[in-house]
Amino acid sequence: MNLPPVVIDNGTGYTKMGFAGLKNHPQFVIPTVIGTREGNADRGNNLASKRGIEDLNFYIGDEAIANSKTYSLNYPIRHGQVENWDLMEKFYQASIFQYLKCEPEDHLFLLTEPPLNQPENREYLAEIMFESFGVKGMYIAVQAMLALAASWKKSERSNWTLTGTVIDSGDGVTHVIPLAEGYVIGSSIKHIPIAGRDITYFVQQLLRERENSIPPEESMEVAKRIKEMYSYTCNDIVKEFKKYDAEPSKWFKEYIGQHSVTKKEYKVDVGYERFLGPEIFFNPEISNSDFTTPISTVVDDVIQSCPIDTRRGLYRNIVLSGGSTMFKDFGKRLQRDIKRVVDARIQRSIELTKKVLKTDADIQSNAIEVNVISHKRQRYAVWYGGNILSTTEAFPKHCHTKAEYDEIGPSICRYNKVFGSVL
Amino acid sequence: MILLEVHNKIIYEKIAQAFSSTDEKADNITEQLADLDGVIYHLTSSKKEGYVVLSISMNGYSQLVKFGADEVLRREYGPYIVEPESGYDFSICLNQQDLPATEEERDALYKKFSLLKRNLLAAPFEKAFIAQENKQTTEIMEVPYRDNESIYVFALQDHVTVIFSTEFKEDTDKIFGKVFLQEFADARRQPAVQTAPQVLFSKEPPLELRNLNTLRDSEDINYVTFVLFPRHYTEGPVREQTISNIPLFRDYLHYHIKCSKAYMHSRMRARVDSFLKVLNRAKPEVALDQIEKKTASGRTFRKFK
Repeated sequence: MNLPPVVIDNGTGYTKMGFAGLKNHPQFVIPTVIGTREGNADRGNNLASKRGIEDLNFYIGDEAIANSKTYSLNYPIRHGQVENWDLMEKFYQASIFQYLKCEPEDHLFLLTEPPLNQPENREYLAEIMFESFGVKGMYIAVQAMLALAASWKKSERSNWTLTGTVIDSGDGVTHVIPLAEGYVIGSSIKHIPIAGRDITYFVQQLLRERENSIPPEESMEVAKRIKEMYSYTCNDIVKEFKKYDAEPSKWFKEYIGQHSVTKKEYKVDVGYERFLGPEIFFNPEISNSDFTTPISTVVDDVIQSCPIDTRRGLYRNIVLSGGSTMFKDFGKRLQRDIKRVVDARIQRSIELTKKVLKTDADIQSNAIEVNVISHKRQRYAVWYGGNILSTTEAFPKHCHTKAEYDEIGPSICRYNKVFGSVL
Repeated sequence: MILLEVHNKIIYEKIAQAFSSTDEKADNITEQLADLDGVIYHLTSSKKEGYVVLSISMNGYSQLVKFGADEVLRREYGPYIVEPESGYDFSICLNQQDLPATEEERDALYKKFSLLKRNLLAAPFEKAFIAQENKQTTEIMEVPYRDNESIYVFALQDHVTVIFSTEFKEDTDKIFGKVFLQEFADARRQPAVQTAPQVLFSKEPPLELRNLNTLRDSEDINYVTFVLFPRHYTEGPVREQTISNIPLFRDYLHYHIKCSKAYMHSRMRARVDSFLKVLNRAKPEVALDQIEKKTASGRTFRKFK
């Protein structure tokens, strides 16, 4: 029996899961939320309070949200880390049997973890997978590595590399993670407190100042829709403003919404927020006075703090992942900005060398290649990366098997073989 | 979720997406999916040309055909059957122009497509039920639907017997399974479920199967026997329900073994937490070597090193 492996990527906001296959897409993208009956989650240590099979009475994902009136919602993952393993175990139970409908004994599993995950968490995950579900084998991959793998092009197999910088921007937080040969350079990871939700807030604030037709209770939703439908990244704000003022009819858009209760239609003009929303990555001071470092500077700092022999590789392969990197031309703008910083530094080092050597001779420096890679599968990049790796022939060899687990115990998952060594 | 769902959620959602006019996500899909019991589906759809092709490959398909799976499938999917894709046993195709007009009918049709596996497995059951109603007996119909596991269905004079062979890969699973099935026998004494079919659990193959030469002799194989009486398969919804649930029983059993383990784990975690609390309470507030000991006159000791 040759059954496809299962790839599950549990994120803070959404869980992406599905069977791996050459042309497959994640079959389910559901919110990582579980609805249990009140007080069920953390009831004391009293065995007598158990009646019947109430531990099976729960919903996950969209169904949990639909039933939120009678079930209390719990989010088992916070900031990328699993906080409540009891609920997580139930979440897997429903994902496997209700959503994917597969027999865990027959499949290999690829699961993901955030960078800098504690080894204990990996052991917990191994315990759940091998003891409760008895999976045939499993592999725990670092999300950033999978995002790198997702950017590989099928035709250029020789260019497949696991060295690069991943910019992962979801709804809550943005990370910049450098990897060398599949290993995360942990000391250099940086977080940026700007992500999808902040852009939505910013757009909402701009709309609130100008438009008065939006019903206040829906303004958040409208801002989100406008952000998703019309936003793009521009090259130069001043020029962009001029362009809009010269030809308003060409650039201003109209968004037509419908009130959810009264069914009344309302119109919203969409103007400068089209390019101002994503702009807060590059000029954070326009929305937030606490954090003012542009994303290009952060990326440059991260790479500069890495070991010197990896830096060229890191500049050459900057990969985007997550929904908030989906804005049109986001990659191009980022590449240009990073390139400027890098070129300025090289120029300065040439001048300094000239001064030290006291010559007027022409000094040349090898230009540093900066590439920001955008691709179609960016939104669920981590899942697609997992899909690519789990369909390779080497995947079963890299999995920890049930036999190994029975022999040695959960500590086998402290160490993972990295795919780069065989590809 | 106590009972497993009969239909396949992925197929249902993907077909609905492929034909919905508001969903812009799915344009062209070519996916390989799995289902319980080693079933593999291949789903292809194109939004532009407006069609969905669903193919299935399943262990024991040739046996099922022998027991009349063709007729059942023709009855259920008649106009949608197409030549099977290479590598698969059976294919059905749905075209945009064949869609029924109303929302409910369309929904029912999608549901029907997602029940493909169930309908495939229904054949031997229907055959046995019908034979028994006519007071006939049938041979033992064996469906090797998993690698080492089979379903045996046969009709006798007054009832139909269904036997599963199931393999437990782990010793603990075996015990869980046994306790679980004993519980089934006990539960039948309650007045509410007295009409439920009788369930027997045995380590040895039941007498009916002893003379089959396909039996695999192994320590890990156990047998579950259902005895169905005519009231369990009166024609109509009752029969359909029985056919839906009985083949899922093996998965139901294994699902609940896993759920019980998950429950035990959560109890164990709670227990460890409470032990940790006790241990933390037992810690002295000031470490022993930091307490200053004095004699009556107020002098202190010094440790020699």
